Amino acid sequence: MNPLRAKQLVIDIPDRADGQPLDFTVEPGQVWGVLGPNGAGKTTLLHILAGLRAPRKGTVQLGEHSLSELKRRQISQQLGLVFQDRQDGFPATVLETALIGRHPWLSPWQMETGEDERIARHALEKLDVAHLSDRLVNTLSGGERQRVAIATVLTQAPDTWLLDEPTNHLDLHHQVAVLQLLTEQARSGRSVFMCLHDLNLAARWCDHLLLLFPNGDACWGPAERMLVPAALERLYNQELLTVEVDGAPLFVPVKR
Amino acid sequence: MLTFFWQRSFNGLAMIGAAFALWQTSALADQVCATDDTGSEICLEQPASRVAALSPGATELVWAAGAGEKVVAVVSYSDYPEAALDVPSVGSHTRMDLERLVELAPDLVIGWVTGNPPEQLEAIRDLGVPVFSIEPRTFEGVSDTIERLSTLAGTEGEGFAEAERFRQGIAELAQQYETAEPVPVFYQVWDEPLMTVNDEHLIGKVITLCGGANVFGDLDRLVPRISAESVIGANPEAILAGGMGEENRHWLTRWEAFPGIAATARDNLYFIPPSLVQRPTPRLLQGSRLFCQKLDDARAKR
Amino acid sequence: MSRPLIMPLAILALASLIAMVLSVGIGSVSVSPGDVVAVLMGDGSNLQQTLVLELRLPRTLAAFATGGLLAVAGALMQVLLRNPLADPYVLGLSGGAAVGALLAMMAGLGGFIVSGSAFAGALLATLMVFGLAHGTGSWTPSRLLLTGVVVAAGWGAVITLMLAISPAQRLPGMLYWLMGDVSYARSPWPALGLLLLVCLLVVPLGRSLNVLARGPMQAAALGVSVRPLEWTIYILASLLTATAVTMAGSIGFVGLVVPHMLRLVLGNDQRLILPACALAGGTLLVLADTLARVVIAPEQLPVGVITALLGVPTFLYLLYRSR
Repeated sequence: MNPLRAKQLVIDIPDRADGQPLDFTVEPGQVWGVLGPNGAGKTTLLHILAGLRAPRKGTVQLGEHSLSELKRRQISQQLGLVFQDRQDGFPATVLETALIGRHPWLSPWQMETGEDERIARHALEKLDVAHLSDRLVNTLSGGERQRVAIATVLTQAPDTWLLDEPTNHLDLHHQVAVLQLLTEQARSGRSVFMCLHDLNLAARWCDHLLLLFPNGDACWGPAERMLVPAALERLYNQELLTVEVDGAPLFVPVKR
Repeated sequence: MLTFFWQRSFNGLAMIGAAFALWQTSALADQVCATDDTGSEICLEQPASRVAALSPGATELVWAAGAGEKVVAVVSYSDYPEAALDVPSVGSHTRMDLERLVELAPDLVIGWVTGNPPEQLEAIRDLGVPVFSIEPRTFEGVSDTIERLSTLAGTEGEGFAEAERFRQGIAELAQQYETAEPVPVFYQVWDEPLMTVNDEHLIGKVITLCGGANVFGDLDRLVPRISAESVIGANPEAILAGGMGEENRHWLTRWEAFPGIAATARDNLYFIPPSLVQRPTPRLLQGSRLFCQKLDDARAKR
Repeated sequence: MSRPLIMPLAILALASLIAMVLSVGIGSVSVSPGDVVAVLMGDGSNLQQTLVLELRLPRTLAAFATGGLLAVAGALMQVLLRNPLADPYVLGLSGGAAVGALLAMMAGLGGFIVSGSAFAGALLATLMVFGLAHGTGSWTPSRLLLTGVVVAAGWGAVITLMLAISPAQRLPGMLYWLMGDVSYARSPWPALGLLLLVCLLVVPLGRSLNVLARGPMQAAALGVSVRPLEWTIYILASLLTATAVTMAGSIGFVGLVVPHMLRLVLGNDQRLILPACALAGGTLLVLADTLARVVIAPEQLPVGVITALLGVPTFLYLLYRSR
């Protein structure tokens, strides 16, 4: 697979100085977590990495090519993106929604085959929403919709997963199930790059972290180097207590 | 069965005066020709025997031309003469049932220049039926249209006589009122919105004929919309109005609230049956006589 | 999407065929089914030939083409704007067409020039709305919609002004055009050809449209080149609407309701919905036009009245029954 690489990348946040340009590579097998407070530019960064938005400076490369040289179709065969918010203007069923994940792989004249449907159904099963296949998406709960969205990208089967708050709306069991699924994807040679709100989930499942500060500063690297309480306290502007459980650090906000 | 020739004139509507149509010599002894009010010359190999009249006015004029029994199709509201009520209708003058019209197989269609949608007249021409479009705008236009219609229908004896009767009648009124004292007149065509006519309109010409002075005669539009204020400001000495249906003085009652208007002060609010003046047909002579009589009444109250 | 596409389309095709047969068979003058067949085989009396071949058949085909074009244009506009309330006229297209047509009529021109002028007006309206919505930045569907609605209101004012100041003798033609009518559409073939072409074109575009209906970001993430696709839809929908308006004046309702009815019944796969719209829109207008010319014959009703009277209850029933 082609690694995803940010080269001297400055994300475009209105009225913010350039700050620290981002320069990192998401290698196969890695699970990256992006941490930062609200408005730090996590979603913007994801959209730039997916080629949906232009950076202020720098480039994003997929293997040898910069994203701007590639066709959308070629990008979508390698990159999948789970959005934080979704619009469904028109009613569609869960199965139909998962099936659009096959779009990058079909030529304009092709109809979806039984094989495509099998792939989609398998993805729905993996996310524990197969029983909802014929329901309309707009009748589902937030957590169910989130899992359908992830199942759509699983159907798309990209080498690199980009996810914007994948654990949003999910109960604890499904949070763990989704992160487990993403870890499996990474183990099979794909890569995962996701924004997370939950510091502790990031600490437990990510092997690399990117900290985005509101002023445009950033630092990134292996998780164990990034999980420094002082840095995290500065990141969230919040005092933290650190304990160690099951070999991983656990961060608890200080109660005033 | 039929052939008809076109001669497009670029004068368009201004061609109403081209009444005295060119008579074309023809190899066919029975061929009749006339120029319509759009300037097109229509020739029939033989006088029309089945006529469709696509406006209530056209129906009256065809009857006046002596070709009443040849009318096979009319449109809604063709209520004069009474015999017209028995003729099959082909819908309204703005939306015709072409199928019904085709079934009635007219060999001449009398169109209304400004009343029938041009698309529909075009469709009829496409079906191979000649369309003779009329729109009399003057007293002479009425006589002249009757003459042309009688030519096409082969009833020139009756038609020319009726045309002459109308012409004479109007000429007599013109002579009688040539020197009459002018009376400032407001003629109300419609109530809501308030509408009148200018001097170009045939009704405006009736006012002038009878020695009236149309207070809104100089306006640009043929049928201008006006405000009640401007009527009060113009202070007409006589107000004449039609109304919806016959003998309905309802439209005049609004002016009774304004005693400042000379017409109200002198009780010169007159009803004119709209059917006598609204269509450019021989009944206009009767309407004009009534009109002149009302203005005489107004003069008598001075 | 794996659900068979053939079945619903076959049913709709059968329905449109039945509607057309009815339309050619029924009229204010009765022609028996046997005679209709005879005429179509090149037989029958003169009168029957004129009725069937010169009046009913062109009118039926024109109604079918107009209805189909409007319904497809509506479905496309709804996907483009991702707004179920969009219809072919929402972006001021019919207003532009009407102003074009009325200008030609005011100038005393007729026939072909009025049609050409209406077409030019529709395309001008399209470009104007798109240019204005584009502004200095990029356009969003809501901005496009808002621009379109405001521009449409502007056209409405211009139309009223033109009606108020035009000479009385031009009014009947103008009002007749504004009300919409398929009776003077003499040559349905170009429109039918366009309709067929579009139905073929949406086969390869269909899946991309399905993805686009999920929003432009999602579509882009799934490999759709969003901007070119949106331009294509916009131009296509404008072209279809302009053709329909040019042929039959502005006929409301078909473009809004037919796509919705079909979505309620068939789901939202554009590869099915768009051809289905062509068939169902055509069928609705053929039936409506048949009723319009026979219900109170010889008086003729404006066809838009009938489309609304047929469409509103059907639509409300489907909406009520749906989840």
